[in-house]
Amino acid sequence: MSTARNPMRDRVAIAAAATTGFHPRNTERSQASYVAEACKAVMDQCGLTPRDVDGLCGSMPGAPVVQAMLGIPEVTWFANPMIPLGNHVAAAASAVHSGLCDVVLLYHGAYRMAWNTASALKDPFRRGLGYSDRTPPPESVAGAVGYTAWASRYIHEFGTPREHLGYVAINDRTNAMSNPAAAMRERMTMEDYLAARMIRWPLCLYDMDVAVDGADAFIVTSTERARDLKLPPVLIDAVILGMIDKNEEDQSPSLRRHGQHVTVSALRAKSDFWIDDVDVYFPYDGFSIITLNWFENAGWCEPGEAGAFIEDHWVANEDGSGRILIKGRVPVNPHGGSLSEGGTQGSGHLREAVHQLQGRAGPRQVEGAERALLTMGGFFFNAEGITLRRG
Amino acid sequence: MDNSDEQLWELFKGSGVDRDSAPHFRGRLERRLLINRCDDCGIWHHPPKPVCPACLSERISATEVSGRGSIFLTVFLHQGPPAEGVDYSAPYPVVTVELDEQPGLRYSGTVVGSPNEEVRIGCRVVLDWIDRAGAPLPVFRLAGGEAAA
Repeated sequence: MSTARNPMRDRVAIAAAATTGFHPRNTERSQASYVAEACKAVMDQCGLTPRDVDGLCGSMPGAPVVQAMLGIPEVTWFANPMIPLGNHVAAAASAVHSGLCDVVLLYHGAYRMAWNTASALKDPFRRGLGYSDRTPPPESVAGAVGYTAWASRYIHEFGTPREHLGYVAINDRTNAMSNPAAAMRERMTMEDYLAARMIRWPLCLYDMDVAVDGADAFIVTSTERARDLKLPPVLIDAVILGMIDKNEEDQSPSLRRHGQHVTVSALRAKSDFWIDDVDVYFPYDGFSIITLNWFENAGWCEPGEAGAFIEDHWVANEDGSGRILIKGRVPVNPHGGSLSEGGTQGSGHLREAVHQLQGRAGPRQVEGAERALLTMGGFFFNAEGITLRRG
Repeated sequence: MDNSDEQLWELFKGSGVDRDSAPHFRGRLERRLLINRCDDCGIWHHPPKPVCPACLSERISATEVSGRGSIFLTVFLHQGPPAEGVDYSAPYPVVTVELDEQPGLRYSGTVVGSPNEEVRIGCRVVLDWIDRAGAPLPVFRLAGGEAAA
C-alpha cells in the first residue's frame, strides 16, 4: 500500500524551535503561560511577530485560545491534532504546502494533569483540565496500561531481562544530564533502575515518562520563506502517520503487526534516506518498551534483539551511567527523551532534532549532523515517522 | 433489576457504556458474556461496533460466548483506580484472554482463585462472575493446562 509519492519533500521547513524547559513538579503557572513563553521565544528567534503568523497548530490550549492570548490578528488555518507531535508536523506541513497558510506557529504545552498524577490532582487549578471521576475500571488495558500488557507479551516471546528496558532509561538519563531543559538530571545506574518501584509489572517507575510542566514551540513555513529567516532551515523530507484497523490495545494482532510497521514501510518508501544515513535517532520512549520495538521495526536489528543491539552499541561510563552510540557515532534521544527530559509527547524529540540539524544543540551537538530520523508514538493509534534534513 | 439506560450508565460508570455497547452491558447484568457477532458473515468483533468491520453489515447480534480461552497478555497492577474489592498491594492481575470462538478475539478482565505467580501468558482459563458495586463483573479462573501456541 505504501507509495513513494511525496511531492512535499523539502518544500516545507521547520525554521526554528524553542523551549521553556521542563519541571517534574506542579509549578504555580498555567499551561497557557508556558505555551506563551515558548511561542514568544520561537518568534523572536526568527525575527517574526504575531502579525507574520497565519497558521496555528497545537493540542492544548486550543488554537482560538492561543490566538487570542498572543494577539495574532488573523489566521487562515488552524488545527488541534491528537498527540504525539508527528500529527502536528503532518498537519502544519500539509497546510503550508497546500497554500492554506504560510507561517504556522506550532506549539505544545506539556502539563501535569489531574487525571495523570495523584499529586497534580491536589492542585485545584488543574482539576478543570480533562479530569473526570468516571475513570475506567481496573480491568482495562486501554491507555497507558496497554503498553505494560504488550511489554509482558514481548518478555514472554523473547525472554527479555529487565536490564534491556533499563538501558533505555539509563541512556535517556545520561543524555539529560547534558540538557539544562531536562526535568530529571540525576545520574541513574542499572542498580537504581532495578531498585525502582514497580508500578504495573513488568514496568517500573523509570519505564514511564515523567509528567512535567513546560512547553515547546516551532515555526513551520515554506522552505523558500525559511531561507529568509535568521536560522538555518530544517527541511521536512517525509512524514507519515501509520495505523492498522485492529488498533484497540487488547485487539492489536501481534508484535509483528501494528502501527509501527505501517509507519516504517511508508516512510522508507517516501524518504530519501534511512537508518544507515542518519546522524541522530529519536525513537519514542513514553514507555521504554516502545523504544525496544522501534529499534527492531525501524530495522536496526531483528525482532527480540533490541536489548542485545543496545548492549553492542553501549558506551559505559565509570560512574555507572552510560549511553547508546550506534556504530560509535549516532546518539539516541540526546536530549534525554520522554523518560528524563520530560513527557512532552514528542515535542522534545522534534525540538532536539531541529536544534541538532541547525548546529544549535550545545554540548550535545553531533558534529556535522545532516539527517535525523524520528519514529514517534507507540503501537496502536499513534505511530508516526518523520525524516528531517539540514537545509 | 432495572435495565433502563440511566441505570446502565450509573452501574457501569467509566466503562464506556453507550448505544453500541449497551447490549454487552445488559448481558453482564444477566451474567452472560455477550460479544458482537455478524449475522451475515459470522465474524466476531470486540469492543462493540455499529457495523461488522469484516463485511460492513449492520446486522450485528450480541451473542453469548463460552468464556473459555487462553491468556494472551498479563499486567500486575501495583496501583490503579480505586475499585471495590481491588487490592493493589497483592498486586492486582489484569489479563487479556484470547477467546476460543475466534483467533484474535480478546476480552480483558482479572483472574480470581489463583496466586499471581501461576497467572501466565498461555494459561487456559474459564469464565466466572463476581459482584462489584451492585453489578456482576466477568472474571477468569485458571482451568489448568497451557495453550498449544
